[in-house]
Amino acid sequence: MSFSVTEASGRTKWIAGILVVGYALITIAPLVWIIATGFKSGPDSIAYPPKVVFEPSLEGYVNLFTDRTRATEDMLEEAGPPETWYDQIARDQGTIITGPSRYGERFLNSVIIGFGSTALCMLLGTAAAYAFSRFRVPLKDDLMFFILSTRMMPPIAVAIPIFLMFRQLGLNDTHLGMILLYTAVNLSLSVWLLKGFIDEIPVEYEEAALIDGYTRFQAFYKVVLPQAATGIASTAIFCLIFAWNEYAFAVLLTSGTAQTAPPFIPTIIGTSGKDWPAVAAGATLFLVPVMVFTILLRKHLLRGITFGAVRK
Amino acid sequence: MSGFIKGLLRLRRGPWEMVASVLIAAGVVMLMQPIWITLYTWSFVITLTGTVMFIIVSHFPE
Amino acid sequence: MTDTPIDKAAQATPEPLARRIRGLSDRSIAWIFVAPTIFLLLAVNIFPLIWTIRLSFTDYRVNRPNREVEWVGLRNYERILTDPDVWATMQATAHFLIWTIVLQVLIGFALAYLINKKFRGNDLWTTIIVFPMMLSPAVVGNFWTFLYQPQIGLFNYVIAFFTGADPASFSMIGDVHLAPWAIVIADTWMWTPFVMLICLAGLRSIPDSIYEAAECDRASKWRQFWTITVPMVLPFLMLAVLFRGIENFKMFDLVVQLTGGGPGNTTTLTSIDLKREAFEKWRTGYSSAYAVILFVTVFGLASIYVKALNKVKER
Repeated sequence: MSFSVTEASGRTKWIAGILVVGYALITIAPLVWIIATGFKSGPDSIAYPPKVVFEPSLEGYVNLFTDRTRATEDMLEEAGPPETWYDQIARDQGTIITGPSRYGERFLNSVIIGFGSTALCMLLGTAAAYAFSRFRVPLKDDLMFFILSTRMMPPIAVAIPIFLMFRQLGLNDTHLGMILLYTAVNLSLSVWLLKGFIDEIPVEYEEAALIDGYTRFQAFYKVVLPQAATGIASTAIFCLIFAWNEYAFAVLLTSGTAQTAPPFIPTIIGTSGKDWPAVAAGATLFLVPVMVFTILLRKHLLRGITFGAVRK
Repeated sequence: MSGFIKGLLRLRRGPWEMVASVLIAAGVVMLMQPIWITLYTWSFVITLTGTVMFIIVSHFPE
Repeated sequence: MTDTPIDKAAQATPEPLARRIRGLSDRSIAWIFVAPTIFLLLAVNIFPLIWTIRLSFTDYRVNRPNREVEWVGLRNYERILTDPDVWATMQATAHFLIWTIVLQVLIGFALAYLINKKFRGNDLWTTIIVFPMMLSPAVVGNFWTFLYQPQIGLFNYVIAFFTGADPASFSMIGDVHLAPWAIVIADTWMWTPFVMLICLAGLRSIPDSIYEAAECDRASKWRQFWTITVPMVLPFLMLAVLFRGIENFKMFDLVVQLTGGGPGNTTTLTSIDLKREAFEKWRTGYSSAYAVILFVTVFGLASIYVKALNKVKER
């Protein structure tokens, strides 16, 4: 083994490794607990001492997707024997399914608003980032700062006038309103990040294309966009995650038709008190996609959280 | 230190931005300190002055 | 010519139109590209901002649209800036802000330092540590209330296991003294990876040659740490601190789900107080002035942040 002053010794590496792994285990414990609670039965979820080993149950997921009512003897008789496995699970708790819950809708709203705003944001953001990267835009630094500062603003403070404006325009509690709002909030991130990515593409490629008789638009489409593909993809995932996670605007500006999942999940309650397995099931379905995206993004995380300033 | 004052006199960006930053920071500290309510009352004026100043002086030459 | 759809589209474009597109100067293309973004930001940010400033000088209330709106001058600002209750929310915010930053910087830097030892599998563990930061604060905050339950909560159980206290004897979110720490712990859990990632970038930006030179000068490891590592990482740390500072100054989602501002007003951070004034008491004029104060503060901090950002960029 070659000796290097900057390379840590084997023993140091072991100690560092053990400490970091220890921290990692502590830090994912709450997440594992969420996922585990989703598969517990009601009594198991609130058992003391907390149950680490338990019999898995789909009660949480059934309760998440259905509305139930506490069943009396008469009602059970009237309804006849349970027809499906989820009926059975509901009966076992002494309840009868009265219909689907609103979780599905809320989840779908999150998907529509998330993808809608991301698409719009990438369209506008890529164009603006290209212009900021390649052309002399008057007051460029001021505009870039202005764009960034829009993201820093406290959402509650912004929500007051947005609420008034949306009410005037009839955009309160609509998908379109939320898509436009999230696009505006995410534009700052996408412009800053994409500008960084496009800055890294050598200008010579485009110049060569222009000399070959391409127009600016063609050069943009055929030379710059393919080169920036990874950058665009990771920026899009960042925008999607933000829109997916956003809570403050959603809770203030939506109540019914366009409500997304984050304001909805905490309101899930059972027929008697808080139904933690159902909440955990809802949270699991909502959080796991983001974890998957995080793994995809791991190379670009740093860029994303620093608006493209730190590149590693 | 004399370089700093010279920069201020010549309306250079660096030292003026420093002054504005210090004002903003002072304003934020005044806003949240638990000691004296009078400081809290005047914090906003200080932060506002610092912020406006920052916008102006960031256009001074380097 | 190749046969990609774009080429076909280009060939299919009528000649006069094609000439016009080709004829577009870079300057006009720049405007076409930038304008939609600027327009949307003006409509969704600047226009409302101006509206807020205007409302902040009135006693307008959204829930009474037919009432005559009066200009009250600076009275809203005066009331907010002399109100001990609002001042108290600022102090609650300060407690939250200072402790989260201290803890996150200490733990985040330590983790980054350890990960930078490049033990086997460090990439995998870094990704696992980063998870909490990417998740929805509201959903996670809601679940932390479950972890904090006396008796049945995992957090209470673990603390009780190590200290021997009765897990039902304390309630992290029900106790006036513990609640401010409950939100600090949850936020630290969530955002330490952020500080860690930035510190890691700082550590990796230090060229090996500097350490090698120090080694030749027989500088001790301890000395190297304080004279090379810390100063070189400092700009990155500044960036992380400023960003966390701004984010936690306007903290809303995590805390509102965790404690809802209670018990009493012990965890009523500024944003939560503002939300009550604006969307529960509907004092629109008053809360607009409140919002303007927050705007200016954040805008000021953001200016310093961008300065720090440029400093790091030069590295």
